[in-house]
Order: sequence, then structure tokens, then C-alpha cells
Amino acid sequence: MTCWTCHEKVAGPVCVGCGAPQPPPATLDPYALLGLPRRYFVDAAEVEQAYRALARKLHPDRYVAKPPAWRRFALQWTALLNEARTLLKDENRRAWWLATGHPAPRERGPRLDPAFLEEIFEWKERELDEPGFVREQAGAREAAMRAELHDIFRRWEAGEGDLAPVEDRLSRLTYLSGLAREKDPHGEHRH
Amino acid sequence: MANIGIDLGTTNSLVAVVMSGKARCLRDELGRSLLPSAVRYEADRTVVGFDAREAAPEFPRTTFTSVKRFMGRAPADCVADAALFRYEMDGEETRVVRFVLPDGRGTTPMEVSAEVLKVLRARAIECLFGEPGGAVITVPAYFDDAQRQATKDAARLAGLEVLRLLNEPTAAAIAYGLDKRGGGRFAVYDLGGGTFDISVLELDDGIFQVLSTAGDTHLGGDDFDRALADHVRVELGLGELDKAGQRALLAEVEAAKRRLTDAESTEVNVAGRTLTVTRAGFEALIAPIVERTAVACRQAMRDAGLSPEQVEAVVMVGGSTRVPLVRRHVAQLFGREPHCDLDPDEVVALGAAMQADILTGSSQLADDLLLLDVIPLSLGLEVMGGVVEKFIPRCSTLPINASQTFTTHVDGQTAIDLHIVQGDREMARDNRSLGRFALSGLPPLPAGIPRIKVEFTVDADGLLKVSAREEHTGIEANIDVRPSYGLSEDEIERMLEESIDHAETDVDARMLIESRVEAEGILHAVDKALAADPELLEPGEGERIRAVADELRAVQLTEDRKRIADLSHELDAVTAPFAQRRIERDLTLALSGRGADDVGQQLGMKAPAP
Repeated sequence: MTCWTCHEKVAGPVCVGCGAPQPPPATLDPYALLGLPRRYFVDAAEVEQAYRALARKLHPDRYVAKPPAWRRFALQWTALLNEARTLLKDENRRAWWLATGHPAPRERGPRLDPAFLEEIFEWKERELDEPGFVREQAGAREAAMRAELHDIFRRWEAGEGDLAPVEDRLSRLTYLSGLAREKDPHGEHRH
Repeated sequence: MANIGIDLGTTNSLVAVVMSGKARCLRDELGRSLLPSAVRYEADRTVVGFDAREAAPEFPRTTFTSVKRFMGRAPADCVADAALFRYEMDGEETRVVRFVLPDGRGTTPMEVSAEVLKVLRARAIECLFGEPGGAVITVPAYFDDAQRQATKDAARLAGLEVLRLLNEPTAAAIAYGLDKRGGGRFAVYDLGGGTFDISVLELDDGIFQVLSTAGDTHLGGDDFDRALADHVRVELGLGELDKAGQRALLAEVEAAKRRLTDAESTEVNVAGRTLTVTRAGFEALIAPIVERTAVACRQAMRDAGLSPEQVEAVVMVGGSTRVPLVRRHVAQLFGREPHCDLDPDEVVALGAAMQADILTGSSQLADDLLLLDVIPLSLGLEVMGGVVEKFIPRCSTLPINASQTFTTHVDGQTAIDLHIVQGDREMARDNRSLGRFALSGLPPLPAGIPRIKVEFTVDADGLLKVSAREEHTGIEANIDVRPSYGLSEDEIERMLEESIDHAETDVDARMLIESRVEAEGILHAVDKALAADPELLEPGEGERIRAVADELRAVQLTEDRKRIADLSHELDAVTAPFAQRRIERDLTLALSGRGADDVGQQLGMKAPAP
């Protein structure tokens, strides 16, 4: 790669020779962007440290006196860095990205298993007699689902198995989290 | 070129700059750093500042104060404020607040603010001997996109390049050096003349975030004055006062309020009668007003999810925080003494100047501090049923990109309308409408086939830009941005063109300054040469040179540009033989053995005069 402005050889996001930010990548790879290994189990402090080191170099505030093209690249880089940082700090989005290469589910996401939905429907029926039943069940299943997901990634990082089941687990997990956090539908009628 | 920091306030505005490593506010010829944000329109000129504010009661229909309240807001939302200030608004206008002058001319809050900014810019040119590089302008943390854009538009109309819009509480925190603490949560208590803001900030390793803001847009020192004035009127049995009497009373109590900051008691003289007011008495009058600020403080703490002891420092901003009761109240509320070492009127401008200095890149601070702001309110699109689909959540670190993909509903459809809103409510109508974006020039394809990717970018100032492209064909859609409130690009262009009418005066002003700077340079060089080489002067020559120099010194700071320039040239001419002799002497010295480099340097140092 050569620098777009001084034509010297360049390796990083900023040209060592003339100090110009290079054109940012067209697609987001949060791990490559922050120079972190592609692992599910990343430390938030590690992400933050990598982010800050790069943000200090690439923030548009560093280029206020520079030509518009420099400022535009700095803006695009920093926007990408902000996105990468948010993504890597959220374990669900991190899992999603590692499994699919996309930052978030496309369109509606994968269909949920009908058996799974049926089970939830049964919980809701029992909720009528046992208020709080749905939240309780959803919370327990959510924790189990999370553990399963961790297990998949642990094996994957050890070079065993693949990430094919991740999409389905994540979809269920998101659904269960929603149920577990849902406001108590009867809350206002009780003391 | 030095960068400047500007506090564009509701009541007063200031400009500051970092000189020799220290931030200071620039002052007018009377030594005042405050410039009242008041503008009076006359037939052929505008009057800005103290004169405009003091004469406001005589010219109520042509004087504008507090226009910051109207910046970037919808006319429909401003009716109450306009009535309060008795401004006549153009009722036809739905998109931008337009004030109507008695002679039929119109003006907008952005143009009024631009008049204030022009005066500050001129002050900077005067003090810095040249055009400032760029400006950091402060805005309230809660300002939305339209209000920030309006502020930037005003700066553009004033011929200022905006480097960054900075949140006012963040600026105050920087002025107090809180950014050097590494981390912590801070509260900024800002009580001005007519507005109150409380902000809770969090600093984490060079990143400032506004956690919450609360306040009252109609609460401030003016309320203290009114409370004291009412008390005095009753006590002295003054009855109903006419306009002039009321004004005299307000001026008198305002001065008494200031005296009570240090004095235990003071006398108020109105209409030949005298009343003694003690500080305790004054404090009893204003206690209910001060208590109202406490309500907002508790609200802000609740929103930030903090208890008072989790706040590490409290910073005082705004002239009304000089009142001792306010300081005691804040100390009690947060359980710690607030910071009030800096002039509370100047603190925001000082912080802005420090940030402006960091942005030059030459400051030593530049490597340590990076201000990362967050977007105060979510951005979203109105979708089916008037519901908002958020694409950038509140408190996202800026700058940020987001994209959404759309398609068409009708075969051959070539345009799509998008409505962008800012706010955190579910329904579009409950949020602030930012603009409608018409994407046109799409390739005509069957319904549902086009994939139009719309990219939203919010820059470091919190301002939104939109671009769009059809993904199959790569065709860029044309985006017609119609801001819901505020000025369109065309309107700004037109206003800038109109201001070229005034460009002549601007050019004159600049030439005057250049002449002054040139005169200063020549006088300095002449003084140095006269002191260094008196033996090279012919008899009487020194007196002739000094006479011209004194004459130039006398006119140097007047408005008479031609006279300054003429005398500069005359001084140049009258010193020419003397300068020639000094050069010859140096050359002789050089030929008699001194290094050529020395000579070169000596000659170089002589420019531009002897």
C-alpha cells in the first residue's frame, strides 16, 4: 500500500511519512480495526485500550487545520472505531459478528424453532394462574442458553466444532432476554 | 493564527484566547470582557452590546436580546417566548423564526447572533493583530441538531470558521482543569441572568460524557432583582411605577444585589427615599428562587443515577453564582464546597479557548486530552404508523455512522421520502422533527427490488449528514435536505451574498488593522535602530526622524487609515539614508573579518525598516 498523498509505503491507518490518515476500509471488521485477536472472550478493558490508542491518532480534532480530505478520512475512521468498540463490548453482537460476519441480524433474523415458541405459549398460559411464571422461566432458560453459547465459543477457540448453532441460540437468547425483562403485565393491579 | 473560544450566551457573550499558555478573555476599550447579547437595528447600521441593551426600553421594537432562546426552534414553539420579549414574529413563517422590524425588514435569530459574533470577531482581530484561525463555540449540552446547526450558521454569517461546537459544562470543566484528574463525575451549576442549567459530567481517561442535564429556561439572577425590587417598592410605599421609574428601581436593586455579595447590609435609594437592606433580608427574599434550582439538581442527579457524594467536584458558572446564598445552597446540596476561583462569567469562554488551543495541535495538552462527546438525544426515522425507528441511540460516542436499507413499494418508483426526528419518545410527533429527506433520481425498477442504502453520519459536533446509494446500480440518490426548522443552504448563501454589500466596510476595517500593524512594526524597528547606532546619525537627522515617528505614534490607534499609511511611508523615507549607512557599516565590518553568516543575519534582522 502507498500513501494516497505522499506515495510513500504505508502500513497503518496513518502515514508515518506525511501524517495523513489513509482511506478507511469499506467494510467493518471490528477485530482487524482494533488490532485484536478474533476471540469471543475479550476483555472490555483491552477493547477500550486499543480503541483509545487509535482514537487519539485518528479523531477529527487532530486534523482541524488539515485539508478536507484528511478530515473526511479521520471522521470515517473514528466513526468506524466507535462502531467497532460498541460492537466488541456487547457480547451478543460480538457473538453475532463472529458467527455471521454481520454486525447485527439482517432484516428479521432467522426464524425461531416452532417447538420453542410453543413452549413459551404454554408458559404464558400458566402465567394466568401463577403471576411471574414467564419471567422466572425465561430467566432460567436465558442463563442456560448463555452457558451453552459460551461452551460453543470455548470449543471453537480451542479449535473444535464450528459456530453454526450460534445464530439459532442467539435468536432464542434475545427473545428470552426480552421476556425476562418485560414489565410485569399485572404489576399495576397488585400491591 | 491563534484560535479563539467563544461563549455565545443568552444574556452575555465573550471571546477568549490562549496567550503564552494562559487562557484570557479579550476586553473592549473600556476593559470589559462581557458583551451583552443585544442588537439594535437602525436604518443603516446595527448597534451591539451595552449600548443596545441599555437603550432597549427606548427602542423595544428594534432591539433583540435573548435570541439564543429562539435559535433553531420552530416558530410554533416560540410563541410564548416571543410574547414575553414582545417580539413580532412573521406568522406566515413555519420553518424559521423571523422577527419583523417596524420598517418591514425581517431578521432571524441566526442573523442577530451573527451581529454579536461579528463584534467578538472584530475584538479578536484587534487584539491578535489579525484574523483568528478558527473558533470553538459553546452550546448548551441539551442543544439538539437544529439548535447546533443554527449556531454554526450564525458563525458562518459572521465570517468565522467553526472548529468545534463544545458543550458549555464541558468547557467549564476544562477551564477548571478537571480533565487533568484522569476520571470522576462532576456537576456544573450554571445560573445566568435568565436561565439555569445543571449538568452532570463523567470523565473517564480523557473522555467527557454528559450524563444528564436539567434546568429551568426562565430562572436566573433577573428573578433576584425582581424579588428585591418588589420588596423595595412595598417597603417604601412607591405604589405603581411608570416605565422609567421601574427601570431606575431595577438598576438600583441590581447594584444593591452586587454590593450584598461582600457587604452585610446596604442602602437602596429610590425617588429620594432610602431603605436599608441586609444580606439576611435579601436572602430570605430569594430563598424560594434558589430552592427551585435545587429541585432541578436533584432531578439531574436522579437521571444520572448518582447520589451527591458520588460527585467529585462542583463547578460554578454564571454571574448569579456570586450570590453567597447560592454558594452555600450548592455546598449543602452536594456536601462539598463548589469551585468558584475563576470569574463565573468568563469560565465557559476560557474553557472554549483552551479547547481551541488544543485544536491548533501545537499545545502540549494535545496528546493527553481528547474530548469525545456523545449525542444528547437519539436519532430516528419515522416509519409506518408514525412510530420512530432509532438508528443512532442517545449517548453514542461521536462521530458515528449508521445505515439503513430501504426499498420501493411501487413499480418504477424513483423517489422516497424520509422523515428524521431527534428524541427518545416512541412516536415521531412527540420528538423533534429534524428534516425531511427526499431521495430522488433512483433507477426505475420493479417494486421491492431496489436496495437503497442510506448512510447517516453524525460528526464530532453532533451534526447530521446524509448520503444514499442504490446498491445494485451504484447510483447515488440525490438528497434534498429540507430542515424542518432553521435556515436552508440557499438561505445562508443569500444572506452571505447580502453581507457582501457590507463587505466594503469589512475590507476597510481589515486594511485599517493591517496599517496599524505595519506602523507598529516600523516604529519598533526605528526605535531600536536609533538606540543602537546614534553615532551614525547626521546632525539634526535624529530629530527629523523622531518628529515623524511621534506623529505616527499619535495617529496609530485612530480610525484614519490613510494618515497612518502615509506617515508610515514618510517615516520609511526619512529613515532611508540612516538605514543605508547602517547597512554599509555592517558590510564594512563583515569585510574586515566577521563571518558572512553574521552579516546575513544582521541584514535579515533589519527588515522592514532601518
